[in-house]
Amino acid sequence: MQIYLTLMLFFPLFGALISMLLGRKLPRRLVEANACAAVWGSFVCALCAAFAYHAPETVVVGRWLAAFDLQAPISLYLDPLSLSLAVMIGFVCGLIHIYAVFYMAGEADYPRFLALLNLFVFAMLTLILAENLPLLYLGWEGVGFCSYLLIGFWYTDKNNADAGRKAFITTRIGDTALVVAIAWLFQLFGTLSITELNGMAFLMPGWIITAIGLLMLVGAMGKSAQVPLMVWLPDAMAGPTPVSAMIHAATMVTAGVYLLARMFPLIGGSGTVLAAIAVTGGVTAFYGASCAVAQRDLKRVLAFSTISQIGYMMLGVGAGAVTAATFHLLVHAFFKALLFLGAGCVINAMHHEQDIFKMGGLRRTLPLTYWCFLAGALCLAGLPLTGGFFSKDSILAALWLKGGPLYCGLYLLALVTALLTAFYSFRLVYLVFYGPDQKPHRNRELRVMELVLIPLAVLGLFGGVLNLPAYLGEGFLSGFFAQLAGGAAAEGSHTEELLLQAVAGGLALAGLLAAHLRYGGKARAQRLLESSSHPSPMAAFLLNGWYFDRFYRALLIRPYQALSGILWQAVDEGVIDDTLDRLAGGLGASGSWLGRWSTGRVSMYIISFAAGGALVLGYLAWLVIWPTG
Amino acid sequence: MSVPLYHVLILASIMFAMGLGCVIAWRANVIMMLIGIEIMLNAVMLTFVAGSAQWGIADGQIFSLMLIALTSAEVSLALAMVVYLHRRKRSVDTDDFDSMKG
Repeated sequence: MQIYLTLMLFFPLFGALISMLLGRKLPRRLVEANACAAVWGSFVCALCAAFAYHAPETVVVGRWLAAFDLQAPISLYLDPLSLSLAVMIGFVCGLIHIYAVFYMAGEADYPRFLALLNLFVFAMLTLILAENLPLLYLGWEGVGFCSYLLIGFWYTDKNNADAGRKAFITTRIGDTALVVAIAWLFQLFGTLSITELNGMAFLMPGWIITAIGLLMLVGAMGKSAQVPLMVWLPDAMAGPTPVSAMIHAATMVTAGVYLLARMFPLIGGSGTVLAAIAVTGGVTAFYGASCAVAQRDLKRVLAFSTISQIGYMMLGVGAGAVTAATFHLLVHAFFKALLFLGAGCVINAMHHEQDIFKMGGLRRTLPLTYWCFLAGALCLAGLPLTGGFFSKDSILAALWLKGGPLYCGLYLLALVTALLTAFYSFRLVYLVFYGPDQKPHRNRELRVMELVLIPLAVLGLFGGVLNLPAYLGEGFLSGFFAQLAGGAAAEGSHTEELLLQAVAGGLALAGLLAAHLRYGGKARAQRLLESSSHPSPMAAFLLNGWYFDRFYRALLIRPYQALSGILWQAVDEGVIDDTLDRLAGGLGASGSWLGRWSTGRVSMYIISFAAGGALVLGYLAWLVIWPTG
Repeated sequence: MSVPLYHVLILASIMFAMGLGCVIAWRANVIMMLIGIEIMLNAVMLTFVAGSAQWGIADGQIFSLMLIALTSAEVSLALAMVVYLHRRKRSVDTDDFDSMKG
């Protein structure tokens, strides 16, 4: 087991190092093959670990931090949660690497790109497998760092570089809360091992656990783009599309959900924390879906839908259903990667046009992409019998079964969100693929890129078999996760469950119907006409993400700029610089006054030097000849 | 030890005095001043070596070896500066360079 886990981390790290150090020297094909092989090697290790898996296991790979009481070795922990995520990450990232090689075929700076992708996989696996919080935090910051560099990959454009900085700074707010939580945990318990901490929650009074849980929630908000720290994710779409698929949809942004699921035994005891998580998730899910309805940029629609879907996962954690949240996390990774990669194919075929109102007619000219994208949209919308339907329904069911006015309210909000989700998914499909034919730009790369979509589409559509509802037989994940805390969710009767699924399925169909009425057939041309005119206030409100960016600009950025302006011009230039300037001026003036006493002639100096030396010698000689005392 | 220490010291003092005289007297030419400095340094080195031989300790010899290395570095720098100064004022007379005067 140790060898599998070590190699799983080692392959991507080694691949990244090779790309970094030798990327320019080796032939291009070799570098690309190396990057893909590193991730697939890691995936094979994950599979081997899955087959060899019997019970949760801790593996110590090496020493890391050790000072006084603080012990943080490089130790990895394999349990159902980390194992299922590791397998998913290996597979999805492996496919995306292959896709990325072809997507970036024209990119001159490919070694940097591939090295960062590999490094990202390493950091993400570290985060997933870490047994102690410092190691988890190392992975946490590692993925943030790679994300920052990859969003700003085309850094010569200032907008991209700004988007990278925005992502980094926004997530930093959450990270700070997480660091505070980690330090506080160490002060309280004297250990940072996750397995030990999870068993010690009962030692502390409730309010401390609540405070730590809330700090971790803030950390998760930053990384998982939850309200109110979600503003960075739509802008993160400035990065290359494979990056959006891998980092900002399938893996990194789910790290917050993973953190909360991982620490669930510790923080799950506090009802306040669970309610806060659920409310955050519910509000975010609704926020993301409502914004996605009005977006015009293909990738921004998907970005907002990611925010919304991660909101669902948070809802699942908040309802105490870690299995349901993880189930949705896995299925979402498949279908969201699929949607993003499909979007990448579309963008590639449309000469890098991203406005969905300028697309259309790709249904017949790009059939493979169309069918795969449709599969992704079906999953996202949660149409019955797709993977997304089962996973989303398990979260909804958990909310319903939790009961109480808060959770019932959130259940209703989640239902509205599901309706919106189905609507915007098919709005996208209708706008991008239907309507009059356009001539796409086909090339060799596109053909390979389309092939990558197929396995993801299959997994997305049939992902439901991972965890079938109880009336269809035992769910695999439920059985697998049963021994995890929060893994065994409350189960309703079969009729109740069927009823809940019927409601969710009906809403998804209603959303599809609404999208068809508004964007399908003849109505599509009408909407295209409307799109060129000025958007209505409501549409503008949603298009700009509820004006959150503007709000933060007024609330935080403007005062900050004003303050830094004062500090710069009044304090730095006015006080500090002026003081130093005057001091230097004074010293200079006194120096030139003193300088009047000197001749500036070297010979004069030498003679005085020699005379001084003679004087000293004479004094010494005098001491020798007439010694005193 | 065939040569007594005093003799060597006297020789070194004479060399030092001559070097100093050269530096003081020949200020019209920077290069000659550098040569004077070299002579003074060699006198010092001679003292070191003599002391080392007198007391049988290698320190003095090691020190003079280091001095040789340092001196060569110093001379190369100094000559480069002489070339530079000559380029600026077409002169190597030290009294022409009096910008140090306040």
